[in-house]
Amino acid sequence: MIPITKEERQWFLRQLALGLVEYLGVTEPPVPVEQLLRNPPPLYDDDFGVVDMFSNLWDATFARPPTQRGSIFVRMDLDPEQRRYALARELLSALITSKHGRKMGLSDLLLPNLRESAEYFASQLLAPEHLIQAFQAQGGNFETFARTFNIPIQVADHRWIEAA
Amino acid sequence: MSMKALNQLVARSIVDPSILNAFSHGEIGTVMSEMDFTADVRSSLEQLEANSWAEFATLAYRLVKAEEDAVRHVHLPSPLEGLLPGDARADEQVA
Repeated sequence: MIPITKEERQWFLRQLALGLVEYLGVTEPPVPVEQLLRNPPPLYDDDFGVVDMFSNLWDATFARPPTQRGSIFVRMDLDPEQRRYALARELLSALITSKHGRKMGLSDLLLPNLRESAEYFASQLLAPEHLIQAFQAQGGNFETFARTFNIPIQVADHRWIEAA
Repeated sequence: MSMKALNQLVARSIVDPSILNAFSHGEIGTVMSEMDFTADVRSSLEQLEANSWAEFATLAYRLVKAEEDAVRHVHLPSPLEGLLPGDARADEQVA
């Protein structure tokens, strides 16, 4: 794989997130990430799933047992916005390890910086730029941003500054 | 124009297997011909050699960005505009 800059990687991740948002037909926040995982595009039927777990070790993690469907194992006691962010973050691993993702060559591009890539991807998926701009055009302010998009305050803070 | 088309192409590729199939069979040019790429950019993109779709997307981004940066640079007014001898705007200011 050719060397890739952070800016190029982030551009690529933004487009992947936008592709999923457009597939869902989202016109206003919040982006229904759990719906995407439970009813994925047909080419991911064998790759996405959500399993609620008791755990004190992590918020969510993706696992794909050999020859079986991949699933995100998520702590069942998370706040809704934390749950959505954790699912969106782990979704990138589901994409990378899917049959389609492997054919795309996602692993070579994204695995070397997986954590950073997954966090960036999640923030773009849950708060796409065009939805932030529409929210701001309608007079939305930062105080209601996190609640409207149903995202953690830290993510909201970061995305609000990025979109400014 | 071409960057917007490239964004749409890469975004579609995550949910539309036909993009990847076209790429795998060397037919991505056909897909791009239905999108809003300029003829020059599309021709350059068709000649890119990449080992995977992700690599192609990255190389395409570099190419389109360089193309658009070059166009932007050409259209930027020179900081000397209006200050050179014989320039109409400079004359007006002196007058």
